[in-house]
Amino acid sequence: MNIEIMHRPGNAAAKVTLEPSEQLTAEAGAMIAMSGDIGITTTTHKKESGGILKAVKRMLAGESMFLNHFNASSQRGEIWLATTLPGDMMEHTLDNETLIVQGGSYVASEPDIEIDLGWQGFKSVFSGESIFWVRLVGTGKIIINSFGAIYPIEVDGEYIVDTGHIVAFNDTLDFTITKAGSSWINSFLSGEGLVCKFQGRGTVWCQSHKSSSFGQTLTSTLKPRSA
Amino acid sequence: MKTEIKGAPTFAYLEVELAPGERIIAESDAMSSMAADMEVTAKLNGGFFRGLLRKLLGGETLFINQFKNESDGNRKLTLVQPWPGDMRQIRLEGNSFYLQPGAFLACSEGVTLGLKWAGLVSFIAREGLFKLAVKGTGDVWYGGYGAILEREIDGEYIVDTSHLIAYEPSIQLKLQLAGGFFSSLFGGEGLVTRVVGKGKIMIQSRSIPGLTGWLNPKLWG
Repeated sequence: MNIEIMHRPGNAAAKVTLEPSEQLTAEAGAMIAMSGDIGITTTTHKKESGGILKAVKRMLAGESMFLNHFNASSQRGEIWLATTLPGDMMEHTLDNETLIVQGGSYVASEPDIEIDLGWQGFKSVFSGESIFWVRLVGTGKIIINSFGAIYPIEVDGEYIVDTGHIVAFNDTLDFTITKAGSSWINSFLSGEGLVCKFQGRGTVWCQSHKSSSFGQTLTSTLKPRSA
Repeated sequence: MKTEIKGAPTFAYLEVELAPGERIIAESDAMSSMAADMEVTAKLNGGFFRGLLRKLLGGETLFINQFKNESDGNRKLTLVQPWPGDMRQIRLEGNSFYLQPGAFLACSEGVTLGLKWAGLVSFIAREGLFKLAVKGTGDVWYGGYGAILEREIDGEYIVDTSHLIAYEPSIQLKLQLAGGFFSSLFGGEGLVTRVVGKGKIMIQSRSIPGLTGWLNPKLWG
């Protein structure tokens, strides 16, 4: 399988080339175009495992209940994946490890990757992300997306990421919700409020922009919902 | 201080590396990630009264943030504006530059931010009642929604309302109908801003009122 991400970071689209009889699992709605001889099966779970419970859990994380499984025929084929919002996409390879992905940022993965719900504790309520996270476990390639450009930060010790800017992180990292400045007063006056402080050793991928900040700039001129 | 604008033009963000003891001033809530030992201080810019004016009338925030590296090694932070779009850096050598409300992102030490009355014309043109004057010696970073176009003006130039984001002090703003009465009413341009003078102006390719104007008829079914 070969993955090529094009038109980064504004209008990213992923071109996935499947070798004969290779498979790809993707979130429902992510496919925008593909070769004519690729087969699709739609399930609520990963093939040959899991069940409806996992689908419900995935829905809680802000993902679709359904997954599409693309099967190449006896010939090589290609699939194009893209998302609704403008933004970036990233390819990453897992080697028998776990990646925690922000709810809504999962796009696709190789069949050997387990897709499950990640629970990061009640602190997630304050993280500016969805309360539930997607947990990708196993070995293989994955594709994730974001609102804004994606950039990695190698953490060795501690690093701060503002709420709403997390895309994914290695599970060798953990985060706590804390203040941005040295004092709580400073932190709130600064407009930064709560931030996520990562601890440990690993990579956190951030999105340059935050959809809620963009949303807030629109609210003053949007018309209110009429009663 | 090392800086680089990345993700441009659609999702521009500013990556900053501060040497020990160095500082940068940024708009409230502009920080998206930073070293955990960065010292953050919220500051009223130019005193309480002027800060309050900035907030109430200039569409800016009451506080701005100072990020200072008080460690003994280089430390990084990233800054970003709320909307997707491009970003520019301008070097000031004692001169000043005007920014429209919301365009300011960050500045280095040696730059002061002041509020200037922009006039009723500016307000009617949806450019805000006040403008932000940055002056001193140092660097200023600012951004817009969409791409940023730069024009060198000598005489007169027309810019649609809410698309002007920055201009030199030698430029004055005036308001006028886009064309005749008919084209102003039906041509979708309405009022436009006439910029007069000799100097540089910066224009954003999109506008927030433009987006919300498109969204509003589609909302709430």
